Amino acid sequence: MLATPLPDAEEIRDNATFEAVLGALSRPGTVRDLPDPGPLCIALALLDRECKVHSQDETLLARIPATGAALVPAHEADHVFMAADSAEALEVIAGLDTGSHLYPDEGATLIVPARIGAGQALQLTGPGIKSVERICLDGIHPVFWDLRARLCAYPRGLEVLIHDGARLLALPRSSQVTEV
Amino acid sequence: MSLSDLTGRWKAFSYGFLDPSAKRELRRKMIKAVSVPGCQMPYASREVPIARGWGTGGLQVTLTLVKPSSTVKVIDQGADDSVNAASIRRFLSRVSGASETWDTLDATLIQSRHRIPEEKLSRDQILILQVPNPEPLRGVEPNMSTARQMHADADYGRMWLQLYEQMVRSGRVMLGASYPAMVNGRHVMTPSPIPRWDVKKLHMAEHLTILSAGREKRIFAVPPYTRVEPLVFDDVPYKVEDHAHLTCARSGVTGYFMNEIPQEDGSAGYEVSDSHFGIKAIDARDGGTPTVGQTWYRNGELA
Repeated sequence: MLATPLPDAEEIRDNATFEAVLGALSRPGTVRDLPDPGPLCIALALLDRECKVHSQDETLLARIPATGAALVPAHEADHVFMAADSAEALEVIAGLDTGSHLYPDEGATLIVPARIGAGQALQLTGPGIKSVERICLDGIHPVFWDLRARLCAYPRGLEVLIHDGARLLALPRSSQVTEV
Repeated sequence: MSLSDLTGRWKAFSYGFLDPSAKRELRRKMIKAVSVPGCQMPYASREVPIARGWGTGGLQVTLTLVKPSSTVKVIDQGADDSVNAASIRRFLSRVSGASETWDTLDATLIQSRHRIPEEKLSRDQILILQVPNPEPLRGVEPNMSTARQMHADADYGRMWLQLYEQMVRSGRVMLGASYPAMVNGRHVMTPSPIPRWDVKKLHMAEHLTILSAGREKRIFAVPPYTRVEPLVFDDVPYKVEDHAHLTCARSGVTGYFMNEIPQEDGSAGYEVSDSHFGIKAIDARDGGTPTVGQTWYRNGELA
């Protein structure tokens, strides 16, 4: 009988990261803690040679080749790391892959930085939310929410993971977001 | 970048049996499954040391989520002590160092074959259902590509026709387990072969449910607070199994889902299907003070 293997530091980090991501996605609007600040831990928990990645975050960009993921233009990517704070950024986001009705799983995952708890107040409804959830986000272009609603022609759409340091909030495509 | 940067350190065994790449695949697909409730997402199902069709899908999900502080419960048709449940539970604890439990209230991860426990699950628990056949349309459309197109079009007319034909022929819907249910008003899913009794427990539940079919390589999910509505006609209400009045011969509890035990004289005896719930009732009867959680059903009615 082999001894029970112990998780190494990477396994612990990846497991904790995914627990935060899964918790945040299954309960949109709740804030979860990532094991490390920034999007790197999300990238390391999710990316491998099967992935096509677009990153506008320079420090992250340098770490992606080691995961084995291919670096591609945004419209081909399944994982996109970028800010959503400018009109130019929204142009890029408008071209992201939202999957198809046949294969909704091909919709991209968008990982954006923002400040959680300040700025634009938003109201969320949908699966994972008992009645209504309210959040505040700063650092996201005001037109982003209209764009997201257009892109999320359910079941097509994209998932948005929002990180603020080591805090994480997620919006699956099934969530309806209204500005209040 | 050197070769040593790209390769991981040598290990005798991956933590949790699955290699990191297999876990990443599961994670990416779980993200999509939770985001489109009830929609079957294809995934690269790996080999695990049990035969396909014996819970490999559920096992891969549990192995991805498990950590040393997890507490796992494994159910096989309600029982914790059947060969299948005991083997999977022991395997999980051996490869992960997680604690084992029979008690629904203590578990953080509950991997189940075909039952949802009678005690309510809380928001911190994840239910992982093993799914033999994830395609609700298979009975009416054997071609997988056509069935996928029907899901894309939300074309579920033949499902309704199937239910209608059963009622015309037999006077009632003849589906025992795997009763098709509409999730989030868009995708029809099979809730895995749980009895009709359990399907209602998924509707607006507190907990996350992940359903995974290893042989068929599909994963889908029901997030908390998601509508799960069994397909029914307006004038023919959904009926759960007629177990509300039955009493367990061993534990004495009434109003829960029962296993029918054939008796020598040709009659039927009953014992409660959720075996640890029965153990708690026996413990309480014998003077113990087990902690019994709130149940979904009370006096045979969904509370």
